Amino acid sequence: MSESMNPMPAPQELAGFFAAFAEHGAEWGPRLAAGALVTAQLSLLGFMLAVLGGSALAAALGSRAAVLRLPAQALVQAMRSVPLLALLLLLYFGLPPLGVTMSSFVTGVLGLGLYGAASIAVIMQGGLAAVPRGQREAALAAGLTPAAALRHVLLPQALRVMTAPLLNAYVALLKDSSLCALIASNELMLAARGMASEYFLPMQVFLLAGLFYFVIAFPLSLLARWLDRRLGNGRRGVGSPA
Amino acid sequence: MSGPLLQRFADVMPLLLAGARTAVLIALGAALLAAMLGTALALLRTFSRSRGVLLAIAAFTEWQRNVPGVAHLFILYFGLPAIGIKLAPVLAAIVGLGLVGAASVGDILANALRTLPAGQREAALATGLAPWQAIRHVLLPQALRLAWPGFGNSACQLLKDTSIASAIAAPEIMFFARNLVTSTFDTTLIYLAVLVLYAAMLVPLGAGFVWVERRWRRASSAP
Repeated sequence: MSESMNPMPAPQELAGFFAAFAEHGAEWGPRLAAGALVTAQLSLLGFMLAVLGGSALAAALGSRAAVLRLPAQALVQAMRSVPLLALLLLLYFGLPPLGVTMSSFVTGVLGLGLYGAASIAVIMQGGLAAVPRGQREAALAAGLTPAAALRHVLLPQALRVMTAPLLNAYVALLKDSSLCALIASNELMLAARGMASEYFLPMQVFLLAGLFYFVIAFPLSLLARWLDRRLGNGRRGVGSPA
Repeated sequence: MSGPLLQRFADVMPLLLAGARTAVLIALGAALLAAMLGTALALLRTFSRSRGVLLAIAAFTEWQRNVPGVAHLFILYFGLPAIGIKLAPVLAAIVGLGLVGAASVGDILANALRTLPAGQREAALATGLAPWQAIRHVLLPQALRLAWPGFGNSACQLLKDTSIASAIAAPEIMFFARNLVTSTFDTTLIYLAVLVLYAAMLVPLGAGFVWVERRWRRASSAP
């Protein structure tokens, strides 16, 4: 092993390392961009599903009826106690024997949506809890119905606190969508894998793929941090990035 | 794929548990790396005044944070051999997940250090402690308690992320699950068993962190 160790590449090797980008960049760029498009679709659709599911779960978690609250708690706890990859593999390989077959894309969206719903439910609960109790009482006393109080008084204030954590939750889903490569979803990471073995330049290809993720995720992370300072009123973010 | 349900669970569990051992080994190794490197990063971020050092730490932290774990593992496992560094799958997983963990530990601990009152350090120095003694005996113990819930999240995340080490052929739970699937075809049951196994490790881990936190809180609120 020590013979093959060569941690300090010679200058010409280093130049060759970067020359690969110049040589193949015109082919790699569009192919990774096509993968990134699928990544964007997976993560955005998954996020939308997660917001819908998370809202429903948050409502159930806040419910006084145990029939709603307990299953919601169990689902949130379960989703937070398993790796996304295990969930994806169960959905993709474990459901067909029971007669449920979905494409890898649909499986990816569903898996990301279920997984994200649990964390978004917790974020929403935290956001609603951050609104002072008096707000609701005052709204009801002013003659608003409970639904109107939620819609016009509580949610607008909760949204301020939730915006940054929700953005972080999206960034987490964006990164998590890379696992869909392992159920053969044709996204960024799978595109990179194919190219890495095709060109025998794994280092360059995977670094470039990483850079694609970074270029999307980093600005969103910065925005989340800025929003957290602006809108969070100094409150610590509920769902800090994974 | 025949026989009673419990029997089928019992049949697949030994191999999955062998995978769990590797998963725990990867998680422990990565946690150790994350704790040591993360603490160093947090201290440098807090006390270094060198622009270059701060910029390098920020670049490292943001790269680890905004790039998926699979990409990090692929760079280490498939990429490094191209420049002459070969890592075994388990070692690549420990290094890759350890670096991801170091970025998050560094971040959490640096935030905790920042929220400590400045008087803590001044008082420690005034009582005659050397600067590193003040860090070791006064600042870090307090920061650790503030950072504890965050560390709990990171630890659970780390244990979950060991699952992606199967993508670089480390013989952990998902890896054995796939082998079992190809030999028994009891797919649904195997992946359900995998979920149960992860939950059986993650729920106690999370509860353990909460338990320690409660004990500390009770100890500090006692008269």
